[in-house]
Amino acid sequence: MKIISFLHLSVLAPIAAWSLATSASRVPPPAAVIHVVATTPDLAALAREIGGDAVEVKALAKATEDPHFVDAKPSHIVTLNRADVLIEGGADLEIGWLPPLLESARNDRIATGAPGRIVASQGIRMLDVPSTLDRARGDVHALGNPHFLIDPINVRTIAATIAEHFALVNPKSADLFRANLKKFDATLDVHLATWLKQMAPFKGAKIVTYHKDFVYLAERFNLEVVETLEAKPGIAPSPAHLAQVISTMKAQNARVILVQPYQNRKTAETVARQTDATVLDMAQQPGAIDGTGTYFQLMDYIVTLLSTALQEKK
Amino acid sequence: MIPVDLQVVWQVMKWPLAACLLLPPLLVYLGLHVVKREVIFVDLALAQVATLGTCVALLMGYDFHDRISFWISLGVTFGAAALFSWSRSSQKRPVPQEAIIGITFVVAAAGVILMLSRVAGGKEELEHLLTGDILNVTALEVMQRAGVFVLLALFFATFHKRFALISSNPDEAFAGGMRVRLWDFLFYAAFAIVVVSFVRVAGVLLTFAYLIVPAVCAVMLAQRWMSRLTVGWVIAAAASLLGLTASYQMDLPTGAAIVCASGLLLILVSMYASLRKA
Ligand SMILES: [Zn+2]
Repeated sequence: MKIISFLHLSVLAPIAAWSLATSASRVPPPAAVIHVVATTPDLAALAREIGGDAVEVKALAKATEDPHFVDAKPSHIVTLNRADVLIEGGADLEIGWLPPLLESARNDRIATGAPGRIVASQGIRMLDVPSTLDRARGDVHALGNPHFLIDPINVRTIAATIAEHFALVNPKSADLFRANLKKFDATLDVHLATWLKQMAPFKGAKIVTYHKDFVYLAERFNLEVVETLEAKPGIAPSPAHLAQVISTMKAQNARVILVQPYQNRKTAETVARQTDATVLDMAQQPGAIDGTGTYFQLMDYIVTLLSTALQEKK
Repeated sequence: MIPVDLQVVWQVMKWPLAACLLLPPLLVYLGLHVVKREVIFVDLALAQVATLGTCVALLMGYDFHDRISFWISLGVTFGAAALFSWSRSSQKRPVPQEAIIGITFVVAAAGVILMLSRVAGGKEELEHLLTGDILNVTALEVMQRAGVFVLLALFFATFHKRFALISSNPDEAFAGGMRVRLWDFLFYAAFAIVVVSFVRVAGVLLTFAYLIVPAVCAVMLAQRWMSRLTVGWVIAAAASLLGLTASYQMDLPTGAAIVCASGLLLILVSMYASLRKA
């Protein structure tokens, strides 16, 4: 008898909680709006620029989260299940976490090859494409370095791809998307000219990064990444490698270290103490740092921070 | 909170739910043995050794999902199973078995850290191995494990009397001329298979929670094997439903939500049990 009453308690409580939960309000989606899911906030920011009011955009990864490793949550599957469009970085950036989520979400609208599936890396000239593949060499992406949104020229290409796909998914708003793209490109041109001017005095300047995640930035602005704190991409820095980084930095007079919010700042600080370097709080995701909600704000922030530090350490 | 649509809820949560309802019964049964033997941390240690085995496979260049990495993990875990059955059976022992279990856990955990420091994204991999990915469990994974668990359940049901005796009264078993050492090894080997296959979908924490919490609740509420097993199943199912609901409603990591739900149920059960005694 006692067991029976206990059965009631333990079975009924969660069921009650469940039914209570499921009776909550249902919000029907407004008709013409397309639901866009981006894997990362930078892609989401671009989608907002191009889509304007005709889209509703969500990012799966948080701005402060490592885009290589995102923890699966039920909301991710729900969001993917309802999406009309999925924008992924591609080039294996999300390979560790997106495929199982997509399998659970079962949504043909965003299946590979569907108009609703946008792979940002398509059409990008990839850097760091390895000649040989070997897991022991670290998180080497077979298709090249996936951190390409940091280069504004690449962003221009991706914005065009996004506009194209949006128009396919929702032809009624195609004109709006084209107009937004045009506006975006014009704004980008103005900004890019400023950024290039800001960075011009530091041609050939040497920088150090935590991960291989600023190679596209370095190429665009003529900087040289002389070392990364990770010996191999994705593998935590070892003491021996850090010693080598320190000696390289001293020999080459590199005195700026770029670190993203999810990387280990303490490691960078340790190295910086030995080399009289400055640790810069960089981010590639809009919103990771206050006041950088759009792609332009983020790049303004990055270029200003970087040029100021390079000026000081010159 | 996410606006709820029952169909979507069902689609998202059905396989995790299936895994959390179909697989724990055997875990609960093994948990009852472990509680009887007073070697609670044996499962945590075995789960950690299983993870160590997976890391060996990763380091050898195999993928987590390769079949071979399952076999490597199982092989390594059998080693620990042999160690545990040996350390229990050796009669006059100045060293308590709990010490060996504890040391196994710590060394396995440290070994995992060392190995993953050489694997890309090791830090994140470590967290994933601990918390598992029950949310993304596939139909195939649930079916495979259910198949293995049914076979093992038949094995344990057939020899339940022997296993019950060596768990609750090993001295009598020795005195009766039973080959305790052999049966003990069979017990730990079967245990290892269960732990290795469940850890790979559910992670170390959830595996440990399913093995121990329902069993401990059952011991507080019932006396005989069968009724304890029933109570344990109910507790496991309740923790699963509660945890999955919380995970969905509050958008929490699923495995960790179920573990915390188990803890909550344990508190409720122990309050109920002490009220009943008073
Ligand atoms: Zn990377």
